[in-house]
Amino acid sequence: MSTRDEQGLYIHHTTVRFGGLLALDDVSLRVPPGRVVGIIGPNGAGKTTLFNVICGFVVPQAGAITLDGRPLRPRPDHLYRHGIARTLQGVGQFGGMTVLENVQVGQRRRARPEEAYAALERCGVAEHAGEYPGSLPYAKRKRVELARALVARPRILLLDEPAGGLDAAEIGWLAELIRSARTTVLLVEHHMDLVMSVCDEILVLDFGKPIALGTPGEIRSDPKVAEAYLGAPA
Amino acid sequence: MDRFLYLTFDGLSRGAVYAAFALALVLIWRAARIVNFAQGAMAVATAYAGYSVADATGSYWLGFLVAVTGGLVLGAVVERVVMRFVDHSSPLNGVVVALGLVLIIQGVLGMIYGDGYRPAPAPFSRDAFEIGGIAILSRYDLFVFAAVGAVVVLLTLLFTRTATGLRMRAAAFAPDVSRLLGVPVGGMLTLGWALAAAVGSLAGMLVLPTELGLHPNAMDLLFVSAFTAAVVGGLDSPVGAVVGGLVVGLLLAYVGGYLGATVAPMAVLVLLVVVLLGRPDGLFARAKARTA
Repeated sequence: MSTRDEQGLYIHHTTVRFGGLLALDDVSLRVPPGRVVGIIGPNGAGKTTLFNVICGFVVPQAGAITLDGRPLRPRPDHLYRHGIARTLQGVGQFGGMTVLENVQVGQRRRARPEEAYAALERCGVAEHAGEYPGSLPYAKRKRVELARALVARPRILLLDEPAGGLDAAEIGWLAELIRSARTTVLLVEHHMDLVMSVCDEILVLDFGKPIALGTPGEIRSDPKVAEAYLGAPA
Repeated sequence: MDRFLYLTFDGLSRGAVYAAFALALVLIWRAARIVNFAQGAMAVATAYAGYSVADATGSYWLGFLVAVTGGLVLGAVVERVVMRFVDHSSPLNGVVVALGLVLIIQGVLGMIYGDGYRPAPAPFSRDAFEIGGIAILSRYDLFVFAAVGAVVVLLTLLFTRTATGLRMRAAAFAPDVSRLLGVPVGGMLTLGWALAAAVGSLAGMLVLPTELGLHPNAMDLLFVSAFTAAVVGGLDSPVGAVVGGLVVGLLLAYVGGYLGATVAPMAVLVLLVVVLLGRPDGLFARAKARTA
């Protein structure tokens, strides 16, 4: 049995180097169950690298990840069985398969076929079930991507810049979806209004180094964050 | 008119076999982006195994089963033992390895069975029925249509109605994304190769009784025709493979029937060149998806 403090996803002192570039420098983060945790930082801060470490696409030089107190040795094809789902920046849909088929691939084994349709309905794209993703506008494809991640009913949802390319109305819808997801969410995002409105806690990275961790209010008032990311006053 | 009808049905019968073989090529292309130039040699190897069992037991059907099952196993072994370790950074690497496999398989078959033709009897009569005084189809032709039709239906059901088929397609389209969704991409690739080789073996068992018989190089010409069929239809399109197979079968029958058998192989090559020049992605290639 894991203790309460060990529950959830825990990233311990993780360091990643790409040749001479320090992409992540001793990053630690705890994502407790049911919480929405944001990761922000300027371009190249290491946000997506951190996601890639969790997914097993990047192997860190140092550090560890635990899930409910147990070591997690990340491999992309094992994430699913750990109840972790991820959306991709580049959407990453199967072009030769219909929208419904795209979502069905994300279903758990023995899941009922209608669950995929329900996920599309929840994301407001059920009417496009029989179409190919490539024929849809970008914002709709983002919704299909979210439906595919949600259909597996993940314990932990990794959202990689889900608001990119969306208009204000779409971002409002996305915020509502994240709030109502009733699951643990780790969110990498540039859209500050979205991050500040949905996150319980925010980690700020700058050149791979964690410079702040706190509630949205604490992050807003942190001078280091203002200097590194939000822009220091002239 | 009699001759035209006869050639049409003969072409459709041959075309059905080309379709099956082209389907095998398309299955592997979709799964691994490799044109399996070893498909013909693999099919001959399993046909030798099948006819050896048929000779030993006196049961053609047992031999048939062994050939198709042998294709399933051989396909899986080739993927797991050879193709998985090929550096796929250049498509040429897979082609070179496949051509190497052709030489190895044909060399080993030559050492075991010799270089002469061995008989490959058909399970049904190849004498055509006459309808209205016109020889149309034999019982063997009907068997070929039924066997290829069954394969097409079963593969269609697999890919459109089952979770395994869906995962096979997903793994072929985007392996990294599929892994994130829990798809065992390696297993799907092995299954794809196994199914493709089994379909290729079936095509071999169907075509060999209509040719000179068993020989290590017996499938070389069939491979050229089936490859043309796959390219005509579009290497990404199973429907295209079937239609392409029928088109090539009819072309070979008409050209061979009206212009002479020696011209027929040239006609296939001309068709291949015309399609590559005019529509290189094949007649059934999907239109490019919009990107924004």
